[in-house]
Amino acid sequence: MSAPWLVLDRVSKVYGDGASAVVAVREVSMELQGGRFVLLMGPSGSGKTTLLMLMGCLLKPTRGRLFLFEHEVSALDERTLPFLRRRYIGFVFQTFNLFPALTAMENVELALNLKGINGREAQRRALALLARVGLRDRLHFLPRDLSGGEKQRVALARALAGDPPILLADEPTGMLDSRTGRQIVELLADLARVEGRLVFMVTHDQRVRDLADDILFMEDGSLVARESAGDLRELVSRREGR
Amino acid sequence: MVSLARKNLFHDRVRFAVALLGIQLAVVLMTLQIGFFLKFMTNASVLIDHIEADIWITAKNLKNFDFGLPFSEQKLYEARRIPGVLWAEKFLMGFSYWKMPDGGQETIQVIGFNPETRIGAPWDIVEGDLDEVKYFTQIFIDEADRERLGFPRVGDEVEIIGQRARIAGITRGAKSFVGSPFVFTSFKNALKLSFIPPGQTVYILVKVAPGYTVQEVKEHLARTLTGVDVYTKREFSWKSRRYWLLVTGAGIALLSTALLGLLVGTVIVGQTIYASTMEHLKEFGTLKAIGASNADLYRILIAQALIMAVIGYATGMLLARAFLNVARRAGLEAYLPLEVLAGIFGLTLLMCIGASILSIYKVTKLDPALVFRS
Ligand SMILES: Nc1ncnc2c1ncn2[C@@H]1O[C@H](COP(=O)(O)OP(=O)(O)OP(=O)(O)O)[C@@H](O)[C@H]1O
Ligand SMILES: [Mg+2]
Repeated sequence: MSAPWLVLDRVSKVYGDGASAVVAVREVSMELQGGRFVLLMGPSGSGKTTLLMLMGCLLKPTRGRLFLFEHEVSALDERTLPFLRRRYIGFVFQTFNLFPALTAMENVELALNLKGINGREAQRRALALLARVGLRDRLHFLPRDLSGGEKQRVALARALAGDPPILLADEPTGMLDSRTGRQIVELLADLARVEGRLVFMVTHDQRVRDLADDILFMEDGSLVARESAGDLRELVSRREGR
Repeated sequence: MVSLARKNLFHDRVRFAVALLGIQLAVVLMTLQIGFFLKFMTNASVLIDHIEADIWITAKNLKNFDFGLPFSEQKLYEARRIPGVLWAEKFLMGFSYWKMPDGGQETIQVIGFNPETRIGAPWDIVEGDLDEVKYFTQIFIDEADRERLGFPRVGDEVEIIGQRARIAGITRGAKSFVGSPFVFTSFKNALKLSFIPPGQTVYILVKVAPGYTVQEVKEHLARTLTGVDVYTKREFSWKSRRYWLLVTGAGIALLSTALLGLLVGTVIVGQTIYASTMEHLKEFGTLKAIGASNADLYRILIAQALIMAVIGYATGMLLARAFLNVARRAGLEAYLPLEVLAGIFGLTLLMCIGASILSIYKVTKLDPALVFRS
C-alpha cells in the first residue's frame, strides 16, 4: 500500500482559551487513503465540521500533527495553507455557497482561475466539469435559477476544479430532498471509487451508509467508532500511542 | 479571469448606484469648488502674474493689488539709482466711473502704463493696436467685460468721469478679480480718466539686472526707499490672493466645501462598500476555502474600489461639466488645468480605496467556519 494521503496524529483543536475554552476536536488520529468514500457521523456539536476544517487546511491544529501528502500542515506557516488548499483540497458545503452573481460556468471558471488556469483552457475545463456532473444544459444559469440539486452539482464541479485528490463535503445533502441527495452522494461515491479520490463526507443521513467504504463516528470531539464496508462490527478505534 | 469584483458590483445594482451617487457627489463638489477656487486665486493676481516685473513697490501697508494707493513719483527716480535695478517704471491703477448708455455708472479700474516701453501693458490683444493709446484718450477693454460695459465696440466713444474716451481695442484674459472692469490706457490718459493726482504713481515696477538676485535688490530698495513697501512679484501676487482668500473668507468657504464633498463621498462609499462586504462575507470565506489567499481577497476589494472610482469619476465629471456650463452662463468661471483634473481623479481613487480599508480588515479577520454555517 502506498503512503497515506492524510495522516492525523493526536490532533486537537481548542477554540478560545481559559474558562471559555472549547475542545472541539480531541486527540483524533487516523490515516486516509485515496479511492475511498468515507462518511463522518455524530451528534451536533461533536466536532465534525472542525475536523473537516483541519483536514482542509482552513484551521491549524492546537495540538498534534497533521500531514497532507507528506506536508506537515501543523508545522507550516499560515500563508502556505492557501497553496495546499488549492493543490489538494476541494470543498463542498451544505449551503452550496455559489457566487450568486456568477453563472454556473463562471463559478467553476473562477475556481480554476484561482488555481492558475485561465482563458480558453479554463472555459474548456469548466465545461467538461459541468458535463461531468450532468449540467451541460445549465452552463449560463445564475444560481438563483437552479434547483437545489443543480446548485450542489455546480458546487461539486467547482470543488473539482484543478483536479484535487481530496474532496471534503460537510452535509452536502442537508438542504436537498432524499432522492436528490442520494444522487449527489452517488456522484461523490463515484468520484472516490471510479476516479480514485479520497472523498470525506460529514452527514446525518443514515440512508446513504450503504454507499460508504468507511464510516467514522464522532462524539464530543473524539473519534469513537469505525465501521468498514461489509463489516458490521463496530470497532472502537482510539488509536492512541500508534 | 472571471471578475468577481465587477460581477458583484453589477449584481447589486441598487447598492452600486448608491455608491456611484456618493462618488459623483464628491467629484462634482470637488471639481466645482476647486475650479472656482483656482479661478478666484488667479483672478486676484492676474495683472501681477502677467507683468514682467520682478519687484513691486507700493504705498505703505497696502492690502492687495486692487486697493493700490498713490504715492510720490519721486520714488521712481530713487529706485532707478539703486544698483541692480535694470529698469523701473511707473504703473497707475485707480478706480473710476464709466457712463453706461442708459445713463447709469459702472465702477472701473483704470490702468495706466507706459506706451513707449509697454511695461504693464495688456498681454493678449484681440483687436486694435496698442500704440493708439499714445494719442487722444484711447482705451482698451477686456472682451470678458464688454457685456458689463454695455457692449461697446472698437471705435465707439464713451464717457469716463466726464471725459471722452475712444475704444481702441479689446484684450483677453485681463479680468479683474473684484469684478470692476479694467480699462487700459497710457499714463497721461489714466490721469485724465481717474482720480490719481499728477506727480503720483500707484506702483513702481522694477526689473532686476542680470547678476543680481531679486532678493538682494528688493532688500536694498526696502532699506533705501522710505514710506513705501517693496515686494517680490511672488510675494505681492500671493499677498493679493491671500487677502481675498482669508479676509473675505470666500476661498475658505470654497475649499471647505470641496473638503466636505470628499468627506461625505468617502462616508457614503465606505458605508456601501462595507455593507456590501458584510453581505458577501460568506463568499469571501468560500473563496478562501477554494484556495484564495488573503492577497487574492484584497485584490478583489481593490478592484471593486477601482471600478467604482473610474465609473464614478467619469460620470461625476460629466455632471460637473454640465454644472460648469450653467455656471459659465451665469458668469462664473472655473479654472481646471489638467493636473488638477488628474489630482481629483487621484483623490477619487484614494477615497474609494480608503473606503475599502475597513472591509479589507473584516475580510482578514474572517472566520473560516462561516462557510459551513447554514
Ligand atoms: N469558532 C468557534 N469558536 C468557539 N467554539 C466553536 C467555534 N466553532 C465551533 N465551536 C464549538 O466547537 C464544537 C464543535 O463544533 P462543530 O461545528 O465542529 O460541530 P459539528 O459536529 O460540525 O456540529 P453540527 O452537526 O451541528 O454541524 C461545538 O461545541 C461548537 O460550539
Ligand atoms: Mg457542522
